[in-house]
Amino acid sequence: MVSLSHLTKKYGALTAVDDLCVDVREGEVLGLLGPNGAGKTTTLRMVTGFLPPSMGRVRIAGYDLFDHPVQAKQKVGYLPEQPPLYPEMTVRRYLGFVAALKDVPAARTKAAVSLAIERARIEDVADRRIATLSKGFRQRVGLAQAIVHEPPVLILDEPTSSLDPKQRYEVRELITALKGRHTVILSTHILPEVSDVADRVVIINRGRMMAVDSPANLAWRLRARASVKLEIGARAGDLVLPAEAVREALTAMPGVLEVRADIGAAGTITARVESPAGVDLRAEAAALVTGRGWQLLALSGESLSLEEIFLALTRSEDQGGA
Amino acid sequence: MRHTLAIARREIESYFVSPIAYAVMTVFTFVSGLFFSNMLVHYVRQAALADSQTQKFGRSDYQLDVPTVVLAQFFQNEAFLLMLAVPLLTMGLVTDERRKGTIELLMTSPVRGIEIVGGKFLGAIAFLAVMLLPLVPMFAFMGAGGSWEAGVITSGLLGLLLLGGAQIALGLFVSSLCENMLVSAIGTYGLVVTLQFIDTTGAVDGSIWTKLLGSLSFYARHLNSTRGVVAAADIVYFASWIALGLFLAQRSVDALRYKRS
Repeated sequence: MVSLSHLTKKYGALTAVDDLCVDVREGEVLGLLGPNGAGKTTTLRMVTGFLPPSMGRVRIAGYDLFDHPVQAKQKVGYLPEQPPLYPEMTVRRYLGFVAALKDVPAARTKAAVSLAIERARIEDVADRRIATLSKGFRQRVGLAQAIVHEPPVLILDEPTSSLDPKQRYEVRELITALKGRHTVILSTHILPEVSDVADRVVIINRGRMMAVDSPANLAWRLRARASVKLEIGARAGDLVLPAEAVREALTAMPGVLEVRADIGAAGTITARVESPAGVDLRAEAAALVTGRGWQLLALSGESLSLEEIFLALTRSEDQGGA
Repeated sequence: MRHTLAIARREIESYFVSPIAYAVMTVFTFVSGLFFSNMLVHYVRQAALADSQTQKFGRSDYQLDVPTVVLAQFFQNEAFLLMLAVPLLTMGLVTDERRKGTIELLMTSPVRGIEIVGGKFLGAIAFLAVMLLPLVPMFAFMGAGGSWEAGVITSGLLGLLLLGGAQIALGLFVSSLCENMLVSAIGTYGLVVTLQFIDTTGAVDGSIWTKLLGSLSFYARHLNSTRGVVAAADIVYFASWIALGLFLAQRSVDALRYKRS
């Protein structure tokens, strides 16, 4: 549906995006993941035709963006990082304006606007001026303008950054609801976002593509580990429990790869027990701690997150480059 | 064409909620009224003086057709006011879209640069036309006390629209170059003031330069229309400035995508 081949953007000596090649299949949600300044926005701007690439091609729904910009752009809905809103307009009027720009037939404009309002869940503010809306609502109006012409391709640049957690959750819900109707490319530096909604993730750093795969496969490829975090009370009467004793006891459990134990805040010891992915040591660890008569204050299990994968990938790149 | 009209309509709507546009319109109308009433009073007194001279001495130094003289003077003054007003109306045309990030919407839509520029030009000139409307009651006031001079009024208004159109097109181009509204306004002032008075620079003799600069000057070209003369050459002259301004603005908007950030 969207194909990027050898996409490159150079600003003088600086290469912002370097030889990016991805094919996005119809109906797929592709996450573009990278730290700030990795080249995510530049990439999306090239895909939407806002920036011309220095090299490489973009094809959208069979149309080359360079040779047939009008046809290609008709197929794309785009929510830039800063939603492109006119604060003096009402939501409804604004969406009507966007519909005209996007070649929605005049006879269908009213229905298209109403549908976009419904899908972005902004019925309550539809006749208010955009200037009076909260950030979360503005973001949803931005989303509504991206889908008003029902484009097959939807491009979202950091759709949830700068929102509070509740707004972020709501916008993520909306994006999940759009899945299936559109082929989506979305960028983010917030990791749970891609692992929640994306079918495939492209990790980019310094303009280069580090990895492309499903979130699950990425974890597997890095031989992800599972881990258990424990918090143990260090004081029992007058005695102080040494962290080293905890470490030794936990290391003795079967299936343990590595244990770290440190003195934590206010007389506690925090320990982290790592095991191969899929091996759940929570019950064993709890039994061991209570069996010794130590106070178990907290216990939680976690598997290697995209965050850690991402850090691992970018770190090895940094070392390789140095 | 639909894109152009949609952009023009949005532009007009945003003028009508913009404090800058309202301030410009208010001051323009007030100062126009001031000029008009002052001139009317002045020339009516002159005419009365001339009448009494004729009665006493059988002849007068003055031959005054009050409506014609007032209108000619008035339209020249209005040209001066437009020069002050238009840069304030055009300073944000593209600059503001860049500031708000809405330029990204326009440029990722299936819309061509010329449609963006054309829509903005149409919107601004429509607002200018609305701004000229309060002049009509002033003319009617004078018409009620004497003759209407419909020809001079029509050619005068047309002249103002052509002059304003040229200023708008140039202001639109300057706006597309600027990221800051104030810089955009100052740049446009530089351009329109220079073009307004360019004929006064080397006006020593009848040399080729005087003629050339004279034919370039907004002021000199605008004079005909204040006297009820609609000359094809003047229309072509201002239309050429409009075309040049729009062409440069379109090239500049298309080139915006090559700028960093």
